[in-house]
Amino acid sequence: MEAAAHPTVEHTARFRLMPARGTISAFEILLLAVCIALVIFLRSQNLLDVLIQSFLWAGVGLAWNIAGGYAGLISFGHAAFFGIGAYTSTILLTTFELTPWIGMWLGAFVAGAFGILLTLICARLRGPFFILSTLAAAEVVRIGALNWATLTGGAEGLAILPVASTVNMVFDSKTTYAALMLCYLVMVYALTKLIEGSRYGFYLFAVRDEEDAASAAGVNPLFERTRAMALSAFLTAVGGSLFAQYFLFLDPTHVISPELSFQFALLPALGGLGTAIGPVLGAFAITPLSEMLRSYLGGGAAGLHLAIYGAVLIVVMLYFPSGIAGALQRLTQGRSAQ
Amino acid sequence: MITVGQLVLSGILIGSVYALMSVGLTLIFGVLRIVNFAHGEFLMMAMYGAWAVTKFLGLNPFVAVVAVVPGMFLFGLIVHRLIVGPALDKPHLVVVFATMALSILMQNLALMLFSADLFDVPPLLGGRSLALGPFYARPELLIGFAVALAVTFALQGLLKATYLGKAIRATVQDGEAAMLMGIPVPRIFLITFAGGSALVGLAGCMMMPLFSVFPTVGLNFVLIAFVIVVLGGMGSIEGALLGGICIGVVQSISGYYVAPAYAQMFFFILFLLVMVFRPTGLLGRKGEATLGMNI
Repeated sequence: MEAAAHPTVEHTARFRLMPARGTISAFEILLLAVCIALVIFLRSQNLLDVLIQSFLWAGVGLAWNIAGGYAGLISFGHAAFFGIGAYTSTILLTTFELTPWIGMWLGAFVAGAFGILLTLICARLRGPFFILSTLAAAEVVRIGALNWATLTGGAEGLAILPVASTVNMVFDSKTTYAALMLCYLVMVYALTKLIEGSRYGFYLFAVRDEEDAASAAGVNPLFERTRAMALSAFLTAVGGSLFAQYFLFLDPTHVISPELSFQFALLPALGGLGTAIGPVLGAFAITPLSEMLRSYLGGGAAGLHLAIYGAVLIVVMLYFPSGIAGALQRLTQGRSAQ
Repeated sequence: MITVGQLVLSGILIGSVYALMSVGLTLIFGVLRIVNFAHGEFLMMAMYGAWAVTKFLGLNPFVAVVAVVPGMFLFGLIVHRLIVGPALDKPHLVVVFATMALSILMQNLALMLFSADLFDVPPLLGGRSLALGPFYARPELLIGFAVALAVTFALQGLLKATYLGKAIRATVQDGEAAMLMGIPVPRIFLITFAGGSALVGLAGCMMMPLFSVFPTVGLNFVLIAFVIVVLGGMGSIEGALLGGICIGVVQSISGYYVAPAYAQMFFFILFLLVMVFRPTGLLGRKGEATLGMNI
């Protein structure tokens, strides 16, 4: 608590065991080492699939968290950015034969521009009204994508040729995909950590927690919010392109669905909003859990794994509103106080 | 001209059914300011209830009201006691995420119980439409319209004229002051939430003859319901009726003249326009939108 109240104190602390704002902790380094080891040594195709999805959802959760957790822009429409990224890179690849290594950044810029537009439209709205507007905007994008069939292939979707090619970012080995997703996750995580420790991060916290005081102190709330949403949309779109390159198939009902938007928001909420480690913990806890439950229970009990997921979420939300990261912090702080 | 008239009539009728579904959310979201993302799943549950009564007891979905409405009232009490009530003491996002989690739970329980198949009930009068002068209307829609009107006026009267209604409005305007005046605020929340849930039960029975029911049916309707509540003006009962009718007419006309696939897109755009240019909704008063909201 002391350290949080005086951020400068943190920099003098040499090394931390648990994640904290602005520094790299032993926990994070250990987690990264475990992730790298898993990518290198894991051979089971099913487990690699779980790993790939965990990395991807953790990365997208982190990207959501920049807007939702740090800037207080709770968006239930991030699937629109995800879909814009996925569709832009895929359309550029399938019709113009542009490599996704470039296409994914172009998609990210398109999504970033859409994020700026959305924030400017909804800037005045607060709380549930902002949430509902993002949801409505994502629905407009979804229905648009569904009906603009000449561009997006409509409900039939778009497929990428499943022929391994490094230029087309299509690989045979799941290990390569896992490494790619881990790179994405580390990139988004590093950006989040940079924001957290920077002056910009403090602007965002100020705007989120006390907008009037922040603007009295010379912070422009609209500008800071818009930047946060643009960055969040940008990074989410990169995740969307990677998703397309891994699954090699896109259709609006799956890529721009409200369910996906809810998932982007629920993973960080479960892990701990407004912390860098939170979305990662949320994704690493939930993705393997739901994949395992799905494969163990099989088709016989369709929906059981999601029902369990929902029940767990309710309990976590009610008893640990600051998520796994908050619970972890309380645990370690309790120990250090002894 | 006849076509336009028919489209407007169909829009008004279907819109009033949407309004009926939204009136419960007007109580929960518009009045209590509880963001209940599981509202669509409440509707789904009520529709399954109405379907089960029709299928297994051989009754009519409109008769199912006597079982479904009290059942949904009870369900609302339980949900409020276990989930929504405890979440309200925490940061305002907790209730958003907790009800969203509840909606995932309910959807998948329904999937386990009923599978993903679409269920229908047989139409009234063998599916024939009634002739009203030059226009035609399905009898189910006419019943829904009448019920929506009756509910709107009854609820409006209840909120404006009775002690309970005054207590509800006082609680929303200033919970602390209301408590000091001797209003049992937690119980008012409980009753209003359960009342909203019972109204969704009623809407579910009215909608069962019109739409198929499946586990994720709620998602289609919850967005429409939120749009209607905000469009009509937060907490305004007659606003919800007006908002519902607007949505119905927009949907029916744009579906005919543009393309049915784009009809949904139009009311989301309409919603965004209302949010940008008139955030208080059609009948809401200025400043009312943020009243009693801890943001």
